[in-house]
Amino acid sequence: MARSFKIGIFDEEEKFLSSLRSLNEQEFMIYDVFTPYPIHEVFHLLKRRSRLPTAAYFFGLFAIVATLAFLYYTSVIDWPIVYGGKPFNSFPSFIVVTIILTILTVTILSLALFSARSKLFPGRDNTIFDRRATNDKFVIVIDADDRDMTKAGKAGSLMKDQGAIEVLDKEFESINE
Amino acid sequence: MKKNRKDQEEFDGLIPFNDENSEASNDDQILELLGSDFVRRGTSRRDFLKVLGFSFASAAVLASCKRPVLNALPYVVQPPEITPGKALYYASSYFDGHEYSGILVKTRDGRPIKIEGNSLCSFNKEGTTARVQASVLSLYDDTRLKSPSEDGNQVSWDSIDAKIIAGLAEINSQGGGIVLLTSSILSPSTIRLINEFGGRFRNFKWVQYDAISYSAILQANDICFGKPVIPDYHFENASVVVSVNADFLGTWIAPVHFIPGYAARRKLDNGEKDMVKHIHFESGMSLTGANADIRKKIRPSEEKILLVDLYNKIADKTGAEKFPGIPFKEDLADLADKLIASKGKSIVVSGTNNVEIQIIVNGINNLLDSYTECIDLNNNLNIASGIDSKMDGLVNDLNNGNVKALLMYNVNPVYDYPDANKFLTGLKSTELTVNMSDRMNETVGECKYECPVNHFLELWDDAEIIPGQLTLSQPCISPIFDTRQFQDSLLKWSGNTMVYHDYLIANWQKSYYPSSGFSDSGKFWNTVLGNGVYSYKVTAGKPLSFQKEGLIKAFKAPAVVHAEGFEVDITESVSLGTGMHSNNPWLMELPDPVSRQCWENVAAISKSDAEKLNLQTGSLVKLAEGLILPAFIQPGQAEGTISAALGYGHTNSGPVCNNVGVNLYPFIKISNGNRLFNFDTDKVENTLKQTKLALSQEHYSMEGRPIVRETVLSEYRNNPSSGNELHEEFEKSHDTLYPDVKYDGFHWGVSIDLNSCVGCNACVIACQAENNIPVVGKDEVIRKRIMHWIKIDRYYSDTPDDPKVYFQPLACQHCDNAPCENVCPVSATNHSSEGLNQMTYNRCVGTKYCINNCPYRVRRFNWYRYTNNKAFDFNSASDLGKMVLNPDVTVRERGVVEKCSLCVQRIQEKKLQAKLENRTIADYEIKTACMQACPSEAIVFGNLNDEKSKVSKLYADPRRYNLLEELHTLPSIGYLTKVRNDEKLNT
Amino acid sequence: MYNRKIRGPLIEGNKTLGQITEDVINPMDVSPGMWWFLAFGLASAAAVFGAYCIYITVYKGIGTWGVNNSVAWGWAIVNFVWWIGIGHAGTAFSIFLLILRQRWRTSINRAAEAMTVFAVISAALFPALHMGRIWLAFYIFPYPNTRGPLWVNFNSPLFWDFTAITAYLLISVSFWYLGMLPDLATIRDKTISKIRKTLYGFFSLGWTGSSRHWIRYESLSFVLGGIAAVLVVSVHSIVATDFAVGIEPGWHSTIFPPFFVVGAIFSGFAMVMTLMVIIRKVYKLTDYITDNHMDAIARILIFISLIMGTAYLTEVFVAWYSGNEYEMFTFFRNRITGDYKIQFWGMVVCNALIPQLFWFKKMRRNWMGLLFVSLSINVGMWLERFNIVITSLTKDFLPSNWVSYTPTVIDIGVFAGTVGLFGVGVLLFMRYIPMMAISELKGVAHIGSKIED
Repeated sequence: MARSFKIGIFDEEEKFLSSLRSLNEQEFMIYDVFTPYPIHEVFHLLKRRSRLPTAAYFFGLFAIVATLAFLYYTSVIDWPIVYGGKPFNSFPSFIVVTIILTILTVTILSLALFSARSKLFPGRDNTIFDRRATNDKFVIVIDADDRDMTKAGKAGSLMKDQGAIEVLDKEFESINE
Repeated sequence: MKKNRKDQEEFDGLIPFNDENSEASNDDQILELLGSDFVRRGTSRRDFLKVLGFSFASAAVLASCKRPVLNALPYVVQPPEITPGKALYYASSYFDGHEYSGILVKTRDGRPIKIEGNSLCSFNKEGTTARVQASVLSLYDDTRLKSPSEDGNQVSWDSIDAKIIAGLAEINSQGGGIVLLTSSILSPSTIRLINEFGGRFRNFKWVQYDAISYSAILQANDICFGKPVIPDYHFENASVVVSVNADFLGTWIAPVHFIPGYAARRKLDNGEKDMVKHIHFESGMSLTGANADIRKKIRPSEEKILLVDLYNKIADKTGAEKFPGIPFKEDLADLADKLIASKGKSIVVSGTNNVEIQIIVNGINNLLDSYTECIDLNNNLNIASGIDSKMDGLVNDLNNGNVKALLMYNVNPVYDYPDANKFLTGLKSTELTVNMSDRMNETVGECKYECPVNHFLELWDDAEIIPGQLTLSQPCISPIFDTRQFQDSLLKWSGNTMVYHDYLIANWQKSYYPSSGFSDSGKFWNTVLGNGVYSYKVTAGKPLSFQKEGLIKAFKAPAVVHAEGFEVDITESVSLGTGMHSNNPWLMELPDPVSRQCWENVAAISKSDAEKLNLQTGSLVKLAEGLILPAFIQPGQAEGTISAALGYGHTNSGPVCNNVGVNLYPFIKISNGNRLFNFDTDKVENTLKQTKLALSQEHYSMEGRPIVRETVLSEYRNNPSSGNELHEEFEKSHDTLYPDVKYDGFHWGVSIDLNSCVGCNACVIACQAENNIPVVGKDEVIRKRIMHWIKIDRYYSDTPDDPKVYFQPLACQHCDNAPCENVCPVSATNHSSEGLNQMTYNRCVGTKYCINNCPYRVRRFNWYRYTNNKAFDFNSASDLGKMVLNPDVTVRERGVVEKCSLCVQRIQEKKLQAKLENRTIADYEIKTACMQACPSEAIVFGNLNDEKSKVSKLYADPRRYNLLEELHTLPSIGYLTKVRNDEKLNT
Repeated sequence: MYNRKIRGPLIEGNKTLGQITEDVINPMDVSPGMWWFLAFGLASAAAVFGAYCIYITVYKGIGTWGVNNSVAWGWAIVNFVWWIGIGHAGTAFSIFLLILRQRWRTSINRAAEAMTVFAVISAALFPALHMGRIWLAFYIFPYPNTRGPLWVNFNSPLFWDFTAITAYLLISVSFWYLGMLPDLATIRDKTISKIRKTLYGFFSLGWTGSSRHWIRYESLSFVLGGIAAVLVVSVHSIVATDFAVGIEPGWHSTIFPPFFVVGAIFSGFAMVMTLMVIIRKVYKLTDYITDNHMDAIARILIFISLIMGTAYLTEVFVAWYSGNEYEMFTFFRNRITGDYKIQFWGMVVCNALIPQLFWFKKMRRNWMGLLFVSLSINVGMWLERFNIVITSLTKDFLPSNWVSYTPTVIDIGVFAGTVGLFGVGVLLFMRYIPMMAISELKGVAHIGSKIED
């Protein structure tokens, strides 16, 4: 079922932010905003947060334990060999490998997590509400579903007052996000 | 699951080994053993190592994967005594006309692959020389003559025999001279045969000819004692040895016989406190000079002055008759005192080929009663019997047509007779000429008939090196080519239907069996053949009395006057000898023990002279017309002299040696009938051209580092650990982060006595033969890529004018804390439970990190593919040459690091044998190749965990230290300090 | 906070967001001009010759190099360490400046990271090539198998090295690519050409610039930045252990890891400077890569060169102070006064003395000066690696093993090849990838510019 949106387009960060603030106060259903570069205030207003660092931390813990276990298994249990008069479990020389493999694991897993959560992977085409958003425009998208046309209308006019260079109505058959 | 996989591993290792080892019972035992073993101590490392051990065996099969070429297979029907994969040893003897040894020949699957000394042979015991070790390779030499030929066209034996017999008969009918020219022959049966052969002709002469002759000694002894022989020198009985230009440890007469005696008097373990005192006079730095306690430089022309003066000094003190003579440049009084002090226990030898000088030497020895126990004229050495004048006479006869037929055996006069052209013209003008040589050389092709003879490993013979001491030679492989041994040819041509084998047996039955005390002749022969040796009592001849007349003449004879300019001293090379083995790549790439340089002969010149002519090492210097050699600045070279070695400059003796270096034989002068191995020249000049020498060691000095530790006898007497104080100190400061690894079974170790090691290089070639070490060629040696697993480092101390010399055999040190093991990323090198630092070739990817991290730099890298590679066209590039490979040792691939394995294949073999016989391994049962070859027994291998073993005793010796022990690598190779029999410690 | 009065704007010429996009993407639209094709031809020629030399090496064997039984590591390892050092520029640049809140990095880090990737690729070639049996290189992977000892030797610095390099390559590539995502999207949305749309569309992974994307993007770069910082330090420390763990005099030294890391950053920054001087000249990007930027890098270089000088002194001092005769010989009789004195003093002059020219503002602000100094630093760093790797090996413990070392044509050829490869990479990067992080530039566009006050 097709969904319709009201899209406000700004060309200045300040105007965009001020309208976003007021939209937020009046509890409009802000679907999402699109900006050419990250703006931290947006995250606060839309209460966006990421738990990726926490995940990364646990990846790290896992990696350290796994690596050390692997090293111990291979060089003490499975096939112990004497190198230069060292004991089988010559821990000090395992540290280096552990550090590197930890870093590697964390990176790979975090990347995987990132691409999975934000649905970014080769060939993926997410719905683009306005092409200029990646260049020099700031875009606010309001969810304008049928039951509340008036509210959507208000949002539109509000954005106009706040200095949006244009306000569009768009319908999308299906949304990739 | 894991266990199954390991069992699989075991089998992977085993199956090929058992295939080789076809005795079923054996297989079961081995499997059973491993199985039980496996259960008993299930630590996986040991199993892995065992597998590794066996993988060596299996890899060995790969090594021998190239099947011998068909006509080389000695047996059509496999005889029962041959077990594939099991080595068989045959006692035999080595004699090339110049050098002799009693030997054991190791054969695998019918192929001789290694030569060891025959411990039953009192002449050389288990010791061998580099040349003897390398001789097995010359069996598989592509330049060997493959069939008889007439005027260069291949013919059948029958036709060539018919022609020669007819020819001889015709010449004989006209009473024409028939001459047999051979190298020295010490086979009684052959001598008998030759006499029989000669007896059939009216005008027959047999001439023995040595390229490097001891004619003067033979003559001198004839004159002084009426006995033209080379006496046996008993260095083991001597307390003072004075040698003048006689390199008896390197080349003179029979080093392999002299070294053990000499070394015995330099060994200080088991409480010995006395040593031989060795004073050496020479022009060039020889191996003997390098080992002498005191070395003095003289020009060849000063020899006589020196010896005359020495004679007079001694005569003076002993009240004997003195003779006129000018005094020597140095005062010889206390030398004379030393000699007299140890009267009867001293030896004076001279290497010159001048009769007068040798007579004077005899005179001196006579004054010193040396003939009582140190010099033995009765049990003399038969090693050389060539008289120079006879050869000269022959050459004249050839030219003035007195000789109609010339049969040559094992000689190469076109190369090594000084006036080769004269010989050649004579040869050309001779009716019937037959050459009997086993391989290509300059003389081959100059004769009408070529009757190629067998390699010494393919023939029957006997040898009587010392009267009463015989050894037998037996074929260890049937002739590879269509050759026939010299004696069989003689038998044929004298119309005798017997083959030499039967002739030999018959002769022995007649001459030796009766007095042997054996009841059954067959048993006698088998025993003798099995042992390879037989000795009988010689009736001691009447005590020889010294005839003065000769001596008086000798003193009267004018002293050699020295012209202006340089005196060139022509020496024999330790590796190549007379040059008859020059096509042997192992010998060609064997660095000279003193100059550490190979693939070429050089003009050794003193530093000061070099500066005068402004020569550097490698700049080409012209010594005489047609004699241009690269200069080599040799510390200790006498000023005004230049030394250059024989044996190089071949033109037609095979790809390895052709046009390598310069041939010096043409520069040998003949003075009153004897060849003099030195000449004067006043036209030495710098050609201003440079060349690169193949030096395997460039740096002379130890830089004051405690690498070879030395002391002097006087110091040693009151403090055995003198010179080795550092050892204590380092031991104290050895702390470690990790506990030392325990070795509960064996802990293999080696001790090397730097005092008795004379640096003869036998171990180097022994190792090369045992471990399939490739030859890399001159360019690679120049680029410092020589492959030898064991090398003998040579260091100098003191001044370049009068240096002290040190030899140090250096192979993998098998460190318990091996730095190389830590750094190999793929763990291709790691430590065995028996203390071996082991290489797993098929695991190595060639990062070369281990080479860098080895402080001893004993690891070698296969920079190219050295086998089957025409760019390295030596023995391992030809099918024939590869037959010498030891199947127990993997042939290494390109890009793999290799190094000394302490002959792990020998260790494994003996361990398995001991297990099957359910006993422990005895000390000395396992011998590494280097240890076995060493004539001075300086190298001792054994189990360090067994305190009764010789090696652990030596480890306990206060003289023992480890190389670079301050690095705490804990090597398993120990060195014993060098002790000079000298008063003051040099700084 | 950022004080424009002192430092001037980060980006000059009061660019609007649109302009920024235009300026950065422009070089990709217009044909680059003669110089580009010329340079490209040269670089690829060098690369081809290098490829030939590599073929010879692999076909005939390492014997074609100048190495021998005593000096088993030659030019190959020298070049390897040198390239890895250069490879530290990008990541170090982004990470450390990120941590130090130096926002001026934005206009440089993209190029720097690109450089890193190509340098590391060039570097990685050498350890592979110098293996005797490169076709068995996979033996170094620790995975269950049936050859000899089942696992690799985890004590070996070479194995550490191998893991470190692999990790570093992977991570710097992903870091670089991650930074590119928004810009690829920008091109996708701006371009009119169909091919580009699909191509960049594919590689931009469907980036839209929604607040959801941005928040995760930021936190991911934060995470990666954090651990990559550790990596940058550890990678070259590990390369240093290749030598520090070794027993050779002149190798066996605890100063190596920090010494190597600093050296790496030194050469890296020098290479960045070299490239930047060229880029801003040929692409007229002086508004984005301002004189202030170059000035800042130059200041960093002086500082590091002082550290290098100190390190050299320390090494020599320790050699003397230890009283170890082998160390003494290596430093005093082999490097300072011996056969290799030219390399040694060359290193000192290029790395410790010449950079001092940057004390003069003139030098910091004139492109000739910048180029001269940065190039001499690159030479100097190569010499330093030569000193460490080769002089130690030529003359170590046993004088009987002392040799001298000379490279062969093949040695030189392979090195030339990697230089060519690097050049090709950089040139293609200039042509097909936005040279500066557009989105980040936009983020800082206003800082210090007129708009603010």
